[in-house]
Amino acid sequence: MMPFLASDKWYDLRDLSNISREILEGADRVLPFGIVYVLAALLGFVASFLIFVLPSQLFVGVYGERKLIGRIQSRYGPNRVGPFGLLQPIADAIKLIQKEALTPTRSDRVVMYIAPLFFVAPAVLLFAVIPFGPNMIFADVPVSLMYFLAISSLPVLANFMAGWSANNKYSLFGAIRIVAMTISYETPLVMSLLGAVVIAGTLNLQGMVLWADEYKIWLGFVTPLALVIYFICVSAELNRTPTDIAEAESEIVAGYLTEYSGMKWGLFYGMDIGYAIAASAFAVTVFLGGWTLFGLEQWVPPWLIFIGKTHLFYMLFIWTRGTLPRLRSDQLMAFAWKFLLPLALFNLFIVATERMIWAEEGYPDAYVYLFAMFNILVSILLLFFWADFNGYKPGDTPTRPRLVKEPRGYVPVEEQL
Amino acid sequence: MTGAIKSEPFVINIGPQHPSTHGVFRIRATVDGEKVIDAEMVMGYLHRSMEKLAEERTYTQNIPFTDRTDYLSSMSNNLGYCLAVEKLAGIEVPARGNAIRVIMAELQRLASHCMAIGAFANDTGAWQTPVMWAFREREKILDIFEVTSGARLTCNYMRIGGVAFDLRTPFEPMVRQVLADLPPFIDEMENLLSGNEIFISRTRGIGVLSPEMATNASLSGPMLRGSGIAWDLRKADPYCGYEQYDFAIPIGYRGDSYDRFIVRLEEMRQSVKIVRQALDGLPTGPFRTEVPLALRPPSGEAYARIESPRGELGYYLVSDGGPSPFRFHIRPPSFINLSALKEMTVGGTVADAIVVLGSVDLVVGEIDR
Amino acid sequence: MEETRTGVAAVTRELSGPEAAAFAESAVPGSVARTTDTACYLKPGRLVAALDALKNSREADLVHLTNLCGVDFWDHFEVVYHVQSFDKNQIALFKVEVSDREKPSVPSVVPVFHGAWMQENETYDLFGIRFEGHPNLYRILLWEGYPGWPLRKDFLSMPGGLQPGLGDFAGTTPRSEPTVKVVK
Repeated sequence: MMPFLASDKWYDLRDLSNISREILEGADRVLPFGIVYVLAALLGFVASFLIFVLPSQLFVGVYGERKLIGRIQSRYGPNRVGPFGLLQPIADAIKLIQKEALTPTRSDRVVMYIAPLFFVAPAVLLFAVIPFGPNMIFADVPVSLMYFLAISSLPVLANFMAGWSANNKYSLFGAIRIVAMTISYETPLVMSLLGAVVIAGTLNLQGMVLWADEYKIWLGFVTPLALVIYFICVSAELNRTPTDIAEAESEIVAGYLTEYSGMKWGLFYGMDIGYAIAASAFAVTVFLGGWTLFGLEQWVPPWLIFIGKTHLFYMLFIWTRGTLPRLRSDQLMAFAWKFLLPLALFNLFIVATERMIWAEEGYPDAYVYLFAMFNILVSILLLFFWADFNGYKPGDTPTRPRLVKEPRGYVPVEEQL
Repeated sequence: MTGAIKSEPFVINIGPQHPSTHGVFRIRATVDGEKVIDAEMVMGYLHRSMEKLAEERTYTQNIPFTDRTDYLSSMSNNLGYCLAVEKLAGIEVPARGNAIRVIMAELQRLASHCMAIGAFANDTGAWQTPVMWAFREREKILDIFEVTSGARLTCNYMRIGGVAFDLRTPFEPMVRQVLADLPPFIDEMENLLSGNEIFISRTRGIGVLSPEMATNASLSGPMLRGSGIAWDLRKADPYCGYEQYDFAIPIGYRGDSYDRFIVRLEEMRQSVKIVRQALDGLPTGPFRTEVPLALRPPSGEAYARIESPRGELGYYLVSDGGPSPFRFHIRPPSFINLSALKEMTVGGTVADAIVVLGSVDLVVGEIDR
Repeated sequence: MEETRTGVAAVTRELSGPEAAAFAESAVPGSVARTTDTACYLKPGRLVAALDALKNSREADLVHLTNLCGVDFWDHFEVVYHVQSFDKNQIALFKVEVSDREKPSVPSVVPVFHGAWMQENETYDLFGIRFEGHPNLYRILLWEGYPGWPLRKDFLSMPGGLQPGLGDFAGTTPRSEPTVKVVK
């Protein structure tokens, strides 16, 4: 690994951990023993969540999403509030704060009140283990990937609480759908990530980025199938179209969010984007090289590279949301269990075999690139073959109707016209 | 704990305030989990008693009423009513009037199908993108209507004996522009939606209507043609000179929502063909026969029907020799197309019920009148 | 059905009254009450049998119920049935006369044509004509408990009934509060 050019000085912006280290060491001299740990936690929260994530959420998630989806739909996005509509997220936040948060009389008030809190807390916890740079992680836990997966299963509970407490049939629909869907999509998600873990040999997120730095190849090239499966599964976990049956606006009005208004809804909406950013950050860390960019991170601050990659990955979410229709809930489950899970198992099998071969040969470097090329080829073939096996036969569906010149009664399908 | 899990069906209201019921229309669905086991329609939220009001007004004063039944295809409604009155009174329409009527009716069909396609794709969940694209094309047609008749939606353009005004100068270039713009748009919709795996799996096999059921339930329009019955009133009972134009009738294969969708897409292509032929061969001459202001047709009855974008729109008029109709009955295609809704939705899920409603392409103004 | 495919008429043939009556008589003898130029009046008791036989007959082939509505002539009601055929491309007009103003009743054709159920509901809702044998007769456009049958000529009864025509536009002539007759 190349030694980093970023120095220890506090003003060297390429490594922001210098600033936090100076602040904490200075505080340690002043404060009594132990309080500095609380300050460290607070600083971590401010740094990772408030400075990095919240502006991303607002700028890319609210403004960027609405502008981009507007462009996809051949209309302008928001362009009234501020120059080019840039103040739109602020306007949204102000509007939501001053709105009356109606609570229906016969709903479960306590649960309805704490459900948004349950939804926001894991989002903050998730960003503790994401590496923004070589020294810029708040908590470098050895099993940070597991930690991430565990915490990202918590919001489902909040969603179910929200849907249940509203005492509304539509909300119940949404809540039950989301529980069923999340359970279905957890399994292929974890399986696909296991493939990446097997190649990298570590569960530590920083370790994965360093692995990518060492071999100068991203895990997304070595296991492309895992990246594709991860993308589909995580967009299902996040309730984004084409899998947003929990909040399917055209069917069950707003699903589990029907009875929410004001800032309670705002928290759900904002943290929805927050989770999407977290999932993008996770994907970038594991599959797309994290804060490295084949050596560019020596000069460009690595956290800028990381944030750029996260936003670009988030654009993929926006893109699929604007263009694809929605699947029905039983089709979604079938997709997860019948299509994605066997695919993830195939992937794991191939990747584990490759790792074994690699280990037996003594870990030569060149093998990784051979594996990458082989895996890309096999992934494409496997996707097509498996899709075909699962019943997608395009020739089966005629996309043009039959044309008749003379009026008459029923024309059987077999008749030649 | 022995025994199966006890579950009970509950009643859910789809509508009347719902982003996807195309107006104020309500279905009380009894669902067991996600499966619909019974569907009951409640309508009448938009009932304005047009049939009664028409008995107080003269025949010409009733033309704006017909605008507001099926407000998405007002030119067609006007046309059907004027045909009924002309049949009752024995009035001939000049050739230019007929040609203009055909152009307007087909442009209206294009606009209405744009809306139908957009709203249907929206129901499957594509989150407003098809709606926006389809409405972009619809706007061009509505601009043409505004130039010709003064209004975009409720045009009130047909009169008994012809049309209200002659065509203006900007009319022909605008129509030519639309005829050039629409076929690429239809192809684009087809590329994006008809071959889309998600769209196909949402709409194929949903709301299947067998031909026997379709005929027995008095259906008409794309619902009948989607089931494979080649019945189009423009071919079977031609009015306004449709027999001179060369076009085909699209029919589907199995009668599910996907078939109705592709039938509507193809109908748009055929409409473009008809408008082109009518515009190329537009005759000169008078555009309307003069009829008295308070027309008194001889007493009798007449039933005239046209192929509106939703199906067979019929007007049944009974006259007693006075200046107002004695009985004015609209045979609304959307209302009667709902006769088979229960057969189509029971057995599917709630999501399927929404898709089926979208494929029926209803307009509540027509259902409730 | 090969012989019906070619040679379908280019324009829908409107069967005149006598032609429709001939079809009905040959299908179910004794079902025609009287005939006019355009329409054939059927006896209410034979209505369902006649329409069913016409639906299944090969010559008439009247499979599609196009329109079902009611008309209120001052002293009697009429229920109008337009039935058409796809393969033969013809349309016939049948009517049923009901003289009872207090409790009008007509047999329901829902067993024959499923598409009649909503139109019969609408006719019941607006005229008050009960259809015997209808699976679920309810007021489809208005609500249960609506006072009166709106499309009847004596609804909002003013002296002499509602007079159509140019002389009396709504809102122009001041009139006293119309009495709404509640039909029990």
